[in-house]
Formats: sequence, structure tokens, C-alpha cells
Amino acid sequence: MISILSQMWLFFWRDLSIARTYRTVFVVEAVEALFGAATFYYIGRFVDSPGLQQALPQGGTYFAYSLIGFVFLDYLNAALETFDHSLQEARDSGTLEHLLVTQTSLPVFVAGSALYPFVATTLRIAVYLLWSAALFGFPLRSANWLSVGVILLASLLAFSGLGILSSSYLLVFKRGNPAKWFVLGITSIVGGTLFPISTLPDWLQVIARLNPVTYALDATRAALLSGASLATLWRPIATLLLFAAILLPLSLSAFAWAVRRTKTTGTLTHS
Amino acid sequence: MVTQAAISLASLDKSFPPARSGWRALLQPFEKATVAALANVSLEVREGESVALLGANGAGKSTLLRVVATLLLPSSGHAKVAGFDTLTQSRDVRRQLGYHAGTDHGLYPRLTARQNLLFFGQLNGLSRSTAQERITALAEQFALGDFLNRQVRTLSSGTVQRVSLARALLHRPRVLLLDEPTRSIDVIAAAEFRHFLKTQILRPGATSILFASHTLPEVESLADRIAVIDQGRLLAYDSFSALKQRTSASTLEEVFLQLTGRAGDPSSEVSVA
Repeated sequence: MISILSQMWLFFWRDLSIARTYRTVFVVEAVEALFGAATFYYIGRFVDSPGLQQALPQGGTYFAYSLIGFVFLDYLNAALETFDHSLQEARDSGTLEHLLVTQTSLPVFVAGSALYPFVATTLRIAVYLLWSAALFGFPLRSANWLSVGVILLASLLAFSGLGILSSSYLLVFKRGNPAKWFVLGITSIVGGTLFPISTLPDWLQVIARLNPVTYALDATRAALLSGASLATLWRPIATLLLFAAILLPLSLSAFAWAVRRTKTTGTLTHS
Repeated sequence: MVTQAAISLASLDKSFPPARSGWRALLQPFEKATVAALANVSLEVREGESVALLGANGAGKSTLLRVVATLLLPSSGHAKVAGFDTLTQSRDVRRQLGYHAGTDHGLYPRLTARQNLLFFGQLNGLSRSTAQERITALAEQFALGDFLNRQVRTLSSGTVQRVSLARALLHRPRVLLLDEPTRSIDVIAAAEFRHFLKTQILRPGATSILFASHTLPEVESLADRIAVIDQGRLLAYDSFSALKQRTSASTLEEVFLQLTGRAGDPSSEVSVA
């Protein structure tokens, strides 16, 4: 019997092999990352003013602030979208039925199919940061990479729960990603991605403080820009892990229910 | 010594919720299953036996195969593969199964045939080296050697069909489920495919086959026994010669039309041709 981990690795290998056949994509994405980094740099130059700088946490520039917000959104998007995407693609291509008659369980298939997109997102973000540091002076020297890694991992775990819940919805209702709509919709306004939440009205700041993305972003910025240690960041990390501890079991139960329901109604492999 | 049936179905029922359109489709996943697709089906497939499911479109052949393949849960009754229950021991059931659908090959078009086979073979519990060895052996049997390192999207439909069947056989399953296996290939490729099944799979006797088809020559050529299904009900289950005797018919088409009560109905000939 092969282990779950080696099955997960197989899905990663499959996606990497497929991605390698689109040879130009890596180059195009690297160039896109350059344009993206340049866009934030020039927006930053335009809006940076002494007043705004005081509002920015860690006393950084708007460029650094917004770039980290964007990079984090990319991760969040991957966590919320990847599970749905892999399921829908397998269903549309007809491979889902053949995967389900192997000795792989549906949860392993969905989790394994998320590996490659997560690694690809990490690499894309790394390229973004490298371009930004090399060409536009993004301050990488003081970053605490251990803290950054732990926060991103805790964020992935927390928001993957929402992604799996969304897959359960997709299995039963066939279209739509309510988790992505809800989380990204709220986050774009009150998540502190492109502007500090201190600029929001008081009542919106209350909502922002209930949103785990706010904590994750604050912690990522502190780790990247000020080199904050794990000891300093224990509170946001604990919040994210608590979020994951509640959401992951809940989402896995919902997923198991959705699989059973669709095997009963005969719609498991329907688009 | 009593030998274990390869497949055993006991009083199997499967119903689906009625199809809905518009806003009512939102409630469909939660509606009661009232549309019967299989009703009280009981049959056994012996070790090494080849059984055809013969029926018109919508008769319930694919539903039956999908219940056996653990892709659908039965509404009531039991389906067992090599003694394992599809409901409570689905993983053990899948270990015994190879599955091939003629209508939907489900291969990754941008991976090579070899990469596809390696991926699915390992998901079925083979080590990489064993999978490699078996791919080489099957490629020889299936005349796939020249195509193994080409992307699936560049292969002809007949070759893709052979790759898909090789995938189903790679882990040496005890039971092979085939859903209209020659539907999307030409006459010559279909004849080659049937020849391969007879000589390489059925003659050694280690693999049982349950296949759905409405291609009568295929059924006659491959099946030891034929299960005639109509509107979800099993009308007859016997060898071709016994069915002929029972219906006093001379051809399989006549057997089918008599058993389904469609004799004299010209429209029904099309559905089983």
C-alpha cells in the first residue's frame, strides 16, 4: 500500500509535468511579475506623502505596504481557488471518474492537486519579491524568513478550510465559489491589503479586526519589513491556527457529506 | 471448495432524484430519489467469466457498472466485488477493479502515454519500477511502443483507446469493467480490440469482464453470458445459445427484441444495432 504522502507527490508530479509542456508560461509569469512590481512601485511613488507614511504600519513606504498586500492576496486566492479548480478541471476533462476508481480517496486527490498550485504561487511570489528588491529597492534584508514561512503556512491551513468548503459547494451545486467571493470581497475592503485599516471609518475597523486576513497581513508585513520574530508574532499565528483548527475538520466533514450526496444523486462526475 | 463470485449483485435498486430545470434545479440535490434506474437486479459473474450487459440507451447498463465501480451508492440491495461490499469496503473493491469507458478516456492530453500510465499505475498501488515494467510489457501486447513517449493529444482515437485499456489492466485487476468499450473507434480498431480481449484477457482466465454494449457482434463475440436489461430490470441472464433456445430466435437481435417486447417495433432496431 502506498502512503498518502506519495500519492500527494504523484499529483504534484502530474501537474509539474503538465506545466512543463507550456514552456513559455514560466517566462511570461516572470515578466508579469516584473510589470506587477513596477506598477506598485510607481503607485507608491505617486501616493507616498508624509501624512500617509505616518498611517502606514512599520513606518514603511506605500510600495512595500501594497506589494505585500498583493502578494498575500495571491496566496489567499490560491488557497480559496485551487481546490475548486482541480475538481472542476478533472470533471470537465473526464479524468475524475478514472481517478475515483483508483485506490486514491477523493480528499487525497483534492489535497494532492493543490500542492503544485501552492508551490507555483510561492515561486511566483518569490520572483515578484526578487524583482522588487533588485530593481525598486524593496527592503528584503531585514526580513525574518522563518516568521514569514510560518505565517504563510498557518494562513494556507486556515484559508484552505474555506477552499475545501467551497469545493463541497461545487460538488453539490456544480458552479460558483462562495468562499472566494465572500473572503476576497470582504478582504479587498477591510483586509488592509492596499490601504491601512486605520483610514477606514470606525465601524469598518471593527469588522476588519474580526477578519483573520487582517492579522495574517499585519504579521506578514512585520516579519518581512521589520524582521519580527515568532515570539513577537505568536498572537496572529495562534489566531490563524485556531481558525484552521475549527475550519479544517468542519470543511472535511462537509466534503465527505457532499461526496456521499453526489454519489447518491448520481451527479458526482457531472459538470 | 466454493469459489468466490467475481461480482455479485443482490436485489440491487438504484433511484435518482427527478431532473429539474430553472431555479428548482437548486433543490435537486436534496430531493427524494424517485426515478428508478435499476430495480431488483440480482446476478453473479464468475471468476474468469465475461458477461455482457445488453440494453437500449437508458436501460441502466452504465448505472449498474458505476455502482460496481463505487462511483454510485446503491439505493438498496448489495453489490460485491470479490466478496467486498461496494458500500462499506469501497477501497478494497477498487483494488480489484480496472475501469475503461469507450466514450470518455479521461487521460491527460498534455502528458505522454507513458506518463499517464505511470501516474494511474502508481495511484493503483504499483511501485514506480513495477509500473515501468508492466507498461513495457503492455505496450508490446498493445502495439503501443512507438506511441508511449508521445503526448496523448497527438495520438489517434484508436491508440488512445488502447492506452486507456492498458491503464485499466496495469495493476492486473481481477475484474474489468468496460462501458461501451468500442463506441468511439472504427470497425477495424474495434475488431482488433475484441481480439485482444479474447486472446490476452479472457483466454488466460484470470480476469472477469463485465461490459456494457449495444453492439451485437461485440456481445456475441465476447460474452459467455448475456444480461438483458430494460428500464432498469433484468429480463434474462444466460448464455447466447440458452437465450436463443428460450425465445426460439435465431439472432441476438431477435432475442433482444423478443425479450424486451419490442418485436415488430422498427424504431427499437436502431437502438441496439
